[in-house]
Amino acid sequence: MADNKKYMIQTRGVTRAFPVSGGSFMALKGIDVDIPAGKLTILKGRSGSGKTTLLNILGALDKPTSGKVVFDGKNIVKMDERKRAKLRRRSIGFVFQSVALVPMMSAQENIEFALRLARYKGNRPQRALECLKLVGLDKRAQHMPQELSGGEQQRVAIARAIAHKPKVIFADEPTGELDTTTGLKVVKIFKDLIEKEGVTIVMTTHDTGLMEIGDRVYEILDGEVANQDDDE
Amino acid sequence: MLRFIFRKIASKKWMFLALLIGNILLISIACSNPMYADAVMQRMLDDDLEAYISSRNAYPGNITVSFGGYSQKDGIVEKYESYANSIPEQYGVEALYQIRHYFTPIASNVADVSRDDVNVKNACLGSMSDLENHIKITAGRMYSNEIREDGVVEVIASQRAIVELNVLLGEKRTFGRFTDKEGNPVTIELVGVYDIKESSDTYWVKQPKTYKNEYFMHEDIFIDLFVYDGSRLMLNATWFEVLDAEKMLSRNAEHMHAALQKISAEDKDDKYMTVTTAFETLLKEHLKMKNKVGVTLWVLQAPIYVLLAAFIFMVSRQILETESAEIAVLKSRGVKNLQILGVYFTQSLLLNVLSFALGIPAGMLITQILGSANAFLEFVSRRALPIELTLTPILYALAACVVSMIAMVFPVRRYMKGSIVTQKQKKNRHQKPLWRKAFLDVIALGVSIYGLYSFNAQKELLAQRIIQGELPDPLLLMCSSLFIIGAGLLAIRIIPAMITIVYHLFKRFWSPALYASFLKVLRQRNNQDFIMIFLVMTIALGVFNAQTAGTINDSGEKNIRYLTGADIVLREAWSSNSDQVQQDPSLDLIYYEPDFGVYETMEGVAHAARVYRNEKINASVPGGTVNNIHLFAIDTDDFGKTAWFDTSLLPEHWYNYLNAMAYNARAVLVSSNFRDQYGYKVGDVINYQNTAKDSCRGIIHGFVDYWPGFQPHVYRKGTDGLYKESPNYLIVANLSQVQDAMGLRPYEVWIKTENGADFIYDYAEASEKKFPVFVDMEAEIVEGKNDPMLKSLNGVLTVGFIVVLVLCIIGFLMYWILSIRQRTLQFGIYRAMGMSMREIFTMLINEQMLISVVSIVLGGVIGFAASVLYMPIIQIAYSSIDNALPLTNQLNLSATVQLFSIVGSMLLISLLILVVIIRRMKIAQALKLGED
Repeated sequence: MADNKKYMIQTRGVTRAFPVSGGSFMALKGIDVDIPAGKLTILKGRSGSGKTTLLNILGALDKPTSGKVVFDGKNIVKMDERKRAKLRRRSIGFVFQSVALVPMMSAQENIEFALRLARYKGNRPQRALECLKLVGLDKRAQHMPQELSGGEQQRVAIARAIAHKPKVIFADEPTGELDTTTGLKVVKIFKDLIEKEGVTIVMTTHDTGLMEIGDRVYEILDGEVANQDDDE
Repeated sequence: MLRFIFRKIASKKWMFLALLIGNILLISIACSNPMYADAVMQRMLDDDLEAYISSRNAYPGNITVSFGGYSQKDGIVEKYESYANSIPEQYGVEALYQIRHYFTPIASNVADVSRDDVNVKNACLGSMSDLENHIKITAGRMYSNEIREDGVVEVIASQRAIVELNVLLGEKRTFGRFTDKEGNPVTIELVGVYDIKESSDTYWVKQPKTYKNEYFMHEDIFIDLFVYDGSRLMLNATWFEVLDAEKMLSRNAEHMHAALQKISAEDKDDKYMTVTTAFETLLKEHLKMKNKVGVTLWVLQAPIYVLLAAFIFMVSRQILETESAEIAVLKSRGVKNLQILGVYFTQSLLLNVLSFALGIPAGMLITQILGSANAFLEFVSRRALPIELTLTPILYALAACVVSMIAMVFPVRRYMKGSIVTQKQKKNRHQKPLWRKAFLDVIALGVSIYGLYSFNAQKELLAQRIIQGELPDPLLLMCSSLFIIGAGLLAIRIIPAMITIVYHLFKRFWSPALYASFLKVLRQRNNQDFIMIFLVMTIALGVFNAQTAGTINDSGEKNIRYLTGADIVLREAWSSNSDQVQQDPSLDLIYYEPDFGVYETMEGVAHAARVYRNEKINASVPGGTVNNIHLFAIDTDDFGKTAWFDTSLLPEHWYNYLNAMAYNARAVLVSSNFRDQYGYKVGDVINYQNTAKDSCRGIIHGFVDYWPGFQPHVYRKGTDGLYKESPNYLIVANLSQVQDAMGLRPYEVWIKTENGADFIYDYAEASEKKFPVFVDMEAEIVEGKNDPMLKSLNGVLTVGFIVVLVLCIIGFLMYWILSIRQRTLQFGIYRAMGMSMREIFTMLINEQMLISVVSIVLGGVIGFAASVLYMPIIQIAYSSIDNALPLTNQLNLSATVQLFSIVGSMLLISLLILVVIIRRMKIAQALKLGED
C-alpha cells in the first residue's frame, strides 16, 4: 500500500453481501486487488462471479460490506454519498455493457452533460466534439442514441467517459454486446487513450480473446481472486 | 383465456386498479345523473304538492268528470263511469277515493205540512258514494238504504242546508218533477242532520258548503229511482277521482301531463262531459323545471364525462403500451387479430361487470353527496334525498359501460398492426396524438369563442327567453367547457415552445439537474402531455366551478338580502275605523298605531326602523303622470342603522344619501329614470300622491337606482306575449313628511338582529300577534338554497370537481411512478456519471416544477379566464324573474383559496408517496448494468 504512485486503486479484504430471502449472499469474499495507474486492468470471470460488483465498488458506486478501498490515496469506503458523487464526476468515467446513453440527448449532448456534471470549465461543446473525434464519431455528433448502432453507442459512451479527463475509466463488459471486430475496435480505443491521455482503465470481460491486451488480468471466481496475471 | 387475463391483470394490478376506479367513476356519475335529477325533482314535486294541498285544501290531480244529460240510453252512465274509473290508471297514480256524486237539477217542491212563516225553497236530491263514512250525524239519524214502506225516501242534509232550505227534522217534501219508474212524484223526509267528520278529509273534493241545497239519500235508492236507461230525469253525475299525491312521481310527470292533455282533448270533443283539472299548471311548471335541471345537469357534467372517458382511454393505452411486445409475440406465433381482440374484449367485459356492480352503489352514494352540497365544496346535512334505483339509471350505467368498453378496446387496434419489428420501430418514433393532428384544441377554442360572441350579440333576447321559462341553449352553456378543453389543449401545445425558449436562452447556465430536467420535459413527452392535460383541466375546471358556484350562490343570496331589506321585515295587523268609514264615507280613515317601542327595546334587536311602503304612488311629471311609483318613507337615521345594503350598488356610500335627506325634511331621493326620462335635476320639486289623492311635495336631493327592498325593474308580459323588462320608479322620502301629508298608515318594522331571528318567533307566540307581513331574511336564504336548479348546480359542480381531482391524483401518481420506474436505468447512469442523490431529487423536483406547477398555474389562468368570459352565460341561465341586482362577476377568492389548498395538499401527499417509492427503489442497486 506504500506505492501510491504505482497503484491507482488498492483494495484489501473487500466483501459484499446482498440480502436474499432467508439470509444473505456473499458476492465478494475478501478481495485484494491493486490497479496499476496508467494501465489497462482486466477483471475476468464468468457470469455471477462478482466482477461487476467489484467494479461498482472500485468505482464508488457501491459500498463494500467490509474491507478497504483506497482510490488515489483516499479510502473511499469512509466517504459519504456526496463526496463519492463528487469523486465519481471528477475522477471517474463509466462505460457499461448495455447501452447507457441518456436517450433524450444527442451524442454531443450526452458528452456535454457529463462535462456539466464534472463542472468542466472550458468550452463544453468543443471538448465534446474533440472526444467524439477521438472515437471517430465526430460526424454523428447530432444523432440521437437510438439513431446509432450498438458499437457507435458504445463509442459515444467511451467518449463521454473520458470527456472530463478522469483518472480512471471503468468499463463493464464494454464489448459484451458487440461483435468481435467492433469489440476489438473498442479495446483499441482504450489502448489509445492510455497512451494519449494517460488514464487508468479497469474493464471486465468474459471474452478470453481480449485477455492478452490487458496489462494486468485478475480472474474472479465465486467472489474471490483466483488468478493474477501480469503482462509485464 | 380467462387465466391468461387474470395473470395479466395481477401483474399490473395498480394500473388496472386505476382503470377500475376511472371506470367506476364513469358508471357511478352516469347513473347518479338521472337518480339525482329524479330525486331532486321528486323532492320539489312533493313540496309543491304539499303546498298545493295546504293552500287549496284539496288534493292535486283531482279529476272530476261531470256528465249531465236527458237521454239516458245505451248505458251512457256506465260508459262515463268506466271512463272516470279508468282515469287513475291513465295517470298511473292510484286513487285515494273514487267518489260518485249523482244529483238532480234544483227543483221546486212542496211541504206536506205547510208552515205559514216561510216559503219552501227549491232544492235538489242527490247521493254520494260512501258518504256514510265521512260524516257524523249531529241530530236525528242516518237515512235507511231502502224506500220506506210508505213510499217515502229518507234523506239527510247538512246544518247549513237546513238553515238555507229552512227545513225541520221530520218534515216531508214532495218533488213533483221527479218521478219514480211508475211515474209517482218522489216524497222525501228529512231524518238527520250531518256534519263532516274531519275537516282535513280529502273526500270532500268540493267544500261541504257546496251542498247547501241538497238532500242526500242512499245511493242505491237514487240509482233505483233515477239512474237507468230511459229515465227522463236530467241527471247530473260527477265522478271525483282523488289521486294519491304521495304516489305521484316526478319521473311519471311527463306521462301524467300527457294523460291530462289527452283527457282534456277528449273532454273537448264530448258534449256531455266536462273535465276540470286543477293542477295542470303545477305539472307544466314541474316539467319545465325538470327539463331545465336535466339539461343543466348534462351540460355541467359534460366535461367530467369527457375527462373520464379520456382517462379510461389513456390508461388502457398505457397498459397496452406495456403489453405491445406480448401482442407482437402472440402475433408472430400465429394468433389471429380477432383472438387478440377477443382477449381485450373479455378483459374489458370483466372490468365492466365489476365496475357496474360497484358503480351503482357508488352512484347512489354520489347522489346522496350531490344532495347534501350547499355550496361549492360545502356540505350540510339535509333531509336525505328520496333516491330510487329505477330502470333509467341502470340504462345510463349500461351506456357508460359501453362507452368505457369502446375506450378500452379501441386502442388495441393500433397495436395489432405489424410485427415485432414494426412494433420496435414504432416505439422510437414520436407519434402525434389525434387531437394534435386534427387541431381539436383550435377547433374547440374557436367554437367556444364564437359561442361567446353570439351570446354577447343577443344577450338581452336570451335573458328574456330564460325569464319566459325557455331552456337555455345547451350548446351555449357548453361553451365554457369547450373553452376550458380547447384552451387547455392549446396550452399543452404551446408550453413546450415556451420552455424551449427559456431553455435555449439560458442554456449555458443551467445546472446539470436543471439541464436534464429541461431535456426530459422537452424531449420525452409521450405521457407527459397526458398528466399535464389532466392537471390543467382539473385546476381550470375547479377554478371555474368554484367561481361559478360562488357567484351564483352569492348573487342569489345577495338578491334575497337586498330585496328583503333587513334581517326581519314585519308589519303588525293595524286596527282601523274602516268599518265605520264604509258606512259613512265622509269619515276619515284612521289607523291605530301599535307600539313601535316594543321592537326598539326587544332583546335580540340591534336596531329597528319604521318603514312605510306604498307601491301605488303617482306623480305628475312634465307631460303626464307616472303611476305605481314605489314610495319608501323612512327615518333616515334608524333606516341607515337597520337596513342591509351593498354599498357598491351606488356611486357614493348610501349614508351620504341618507345624510342629505336628513338635512331637509322635504328632501327626497328618486330613481334616475325621473332624471333620464323627465329631466328632473337635483333641487327640483316633485309632487306625488297616493290613491286617496293625499299629495306631498318633495325636493330632489339625489338619484338612486337601488334601495334596500326596491325592485328596480319588473318583467311584464307584453301584448305580444313576450316578457319585457320595464323599470320601476322610486321615491324615498322622510317618514314624518309623508305621515303629515298622507296620514298615519300601517308601516313595516325593519329589524337588524343581534344574532339570529329566533326571538321574534318567541315574541309572536307569547304575544299571540299575527303579522300580515313577515320576512325572515336568513330563513329566505335557506329556502332559496332549496331551489332545484341551485341545488343541482352546487351538487354537480362539487362532485364534478371531486371526481376530476381523484382522476388527477391517480393520473399524477401513475405518471410519476411509471416515469420513475421506467427511468431506473437512467438514474443509474446519472449516478455513475457523478450525480448525487440530492441532484437526482433536485432534477425530479425541477421536472415537477416544469410539469405540475406550470400546469397548475396555467389551469388557474384558464379557469379564471373561463369564468370571466363565460360566467354571464351561466348567470343568465340561472337568472330568475325576481333578480333585482345587476349581474356582477366577482372573483370568489375564498373558494379559490380553498380549492388550491385542497389541490396543493393532494399533490403534496402524492409527492410524499413518490419520495417513499424512490427511497425504496434504492438507486444504488438500480444500476444493474452488468450480468449480476
